[in-house]
Amino acid sequence: MVDVAMVGAGQTKFGNHPFGLKGMWSEAIEKAIESVDNDFHPKSVDEAFIGSIAFGGSQLGNTAALLTEHSGMGGVSVRRVENACASSGFALRDAWMAIKSGQADVVVAGGIEKMNDLSASRKRYWLGVSGDTEWERLAGLTFPGTYALTARRYFHEFESTHDDLVHVSVKNHMHGFQNEVAHLRKEISFEKANSGFMVADPLTLYDCCPTSDGASAVILVADHLAHQYTDTPVWVKGSGAGSDYLALHDRPSITQLCATQAAAKRAYSAANISAGDVDLAEVHDCFTIAEVLATEDLGFAARGMGGKFARDGEGRRNEGSVTINASGGLKSKGHPLGATGTGQAVEIFKQLRNQVEPTRQIRDAEIGLTHNVGGSGATCAVHVFGRER
Amino acid sequence: MTYQFINNDHGRFACSQYGPEWAGPDGDRLTLAIGLLQDTPSGQINIDFFVQHLEFEPSIEVKSIIEAATTWTVNEDATTFLHAHQNKYIVALTTSNTLSKYPAFQAKAYDAEVQEKLSVAWNKEVFGVSQGAYVSQAQHIVASGSRLGMKAQVDENRLIWPPRQLNSTAQRIANAQERLSETATILTWTRLSSAGAPSEFSERAPILGGVSTVLVSFDKGPQGVFMLADDDENTPKIEDTVRFEIRRLYGQDGMIHYGTKAILNNF
Repeated sequence: MVDVAMVGAGQTKFGNHPFGLKGMWSEAIEKAIESVDNDFHPKSVDEAFIGSIAFGGSQLGNTAALLTEHSGMGGVSVRRVENACASSGFALRDAWMAIKSGQADVVVAGGIEKMNDLSASRKRYWLGVSGDTEWERLAGLTFPGTYALTARRYFHEFESTHDDLVHVSVKNHMHGFQNEVAHLRKEISFEKANSGFMVADPLTLYDCCPTSDGASAVILVADHLAHQYTDTPVWVKGSGAGSDYLALHDRPSITQLCATQAAAKRAYSAANISAGDVDLAEVHDCFTIAEVLATEDLGFAARGMGGKFARDGEGRRNEGSVTINASGGLKSKGHPLGATGTGQAVEIFKQLRNQVEPTRQIRDAEIGLTHNVGGSGATCAVHVFGRER
Repeated sequence: MTYQFINNDHGRFACSQYGPEWAGPDGDRLTLAIGLLQDTPSGQINIDFFVQHLEFEPSIEVKSIIEAATTWTVNEDATTFLHAHQNKYIVALTTSNTLSKYPAFQAKAYDAEVQEKLSVAWNKEVFGVSQGAYVSQAQHIVASGSRLGMKAQVDENRLIWPPRQLNSTAQRIANAQERLSETATILTWTRLSSAGAPSEFSERAPILGGVSTVLVSFDKGPQGVFMLADDDENTPKIEDTVRFEIRRLYGQDGMIHYGTKAILNNF
């Protein structure tokens, strides 16, 4: 079967971006093409998949064609992919499958979201529509609420406290501080992270990721074309995805994400690796408790030990068993919903090619992983990347 | 008990714990009426006079709400009548189609300024904050037995709630028939700050200091998420039990959507 290589990857800075949708997407594509070592022409793209939840909180149609039209890819077979915050993780998976199946040789996967030009009321409306709107939302829940329910239950079931979440926040801000494309580039102390105002008890401001503008894109090619574009491709060794009940109340357990577990199992199997082989992972820390769960569901920590994993600094850059969120994660790098999944892939691409800022380079990394979750865990895409094919 | 009841020669009357001037933060004459009917042996009832005194239009017709939430049947030929005081929050069941005398009720102390602010907030939310999550009118109607009557489906000896169409082998599940247990146990809870609350609650949440939500487990398995009501003086704990009452959930497009809220037991 065909192997899939990533030969280019680029993104905008996450945060308050001065451009609109067309401008942000064009910038991400421009940077992705610039990152390709040899000549790359956008007309060589066979297929494109663009993840986005709602394009500025509005239900616009046919936006994928608009964006490719404005980025030199007019006429390409393109579609929008929507799976809440996992939209571009699934766009990446669709791109991988298009090449794997032999139907395409050159594919672009990306994502985009414009969030910071919305009124407060529209943003409040929008940020809850990817959960269970009929039962959870009408019980007063938005995502801070659903993850707060999970956090409190996690503390009840396991030996963990809110302090463990503070360690996650401090670590990710420390990692993101040196990332030039991160939204919140500031280090925070344990004391400061532990004193944020309560958003959804027990989660405080410092447990929550920001709402960011951003766009990201990666260029995937079939194995026989990889060395036409670069001598150092990053191989997409495995892709896995899963889904789960949309609402928390339908899940047998709310302290684990079955969609992540299924996606990881499939991705590890496809890549023929185990969790212990992973050197760095970009995980979906929309809330700090989500990173704790992810470290368990991805197999980096045993069930119930994710809090201790954070407390012991296991995910710190070049210190622990695996670096978690070297980019700063959603917490510090930012979370432009539809752009987050391929934004994670951009970070892995650069890390495995030793192209990030020297101070935050993961040493001798061979295997990277991305973990992109939709909503409170209804969808999840996991990808495994390697220097070697 | 959240409601007060009085029986006299004229009929059976109900008002909220706050007395006849206020039905509470999420109460009105319809929620009082449902509380009264749930506490009274069932039969057939005429609601022609009652529906003239509602503040807002319900999202589904009053007859459907009453029949989903109680064991009463609405019948225009019935000789039991549901009344509502036109100025005060008192409702009554009588055998007379006229009612002019209402009894006096006690009133728990409350902040009149909060009451007024909430009244204004409800008006703003019902008419001014239309951007809520999309739940189709059809879905509100189809699920009313489960949302208001707490009825579960039975599939392979398991209770299913909230309702589903098909089971794990794609077989159609029969309509909800079995009532969930009257109390449930808190598995976890949160209190969202007003900034974190959904837009449907954007006017009320700042006044109430946020909104509390519980995930609970019913007997025989089903779990559900509910907004907590009447929790201004108490903080929930995991393993506390809750009971349920029909209250206003939110307003949209000029109408009120009603649903079930949890209330801490033991308080």
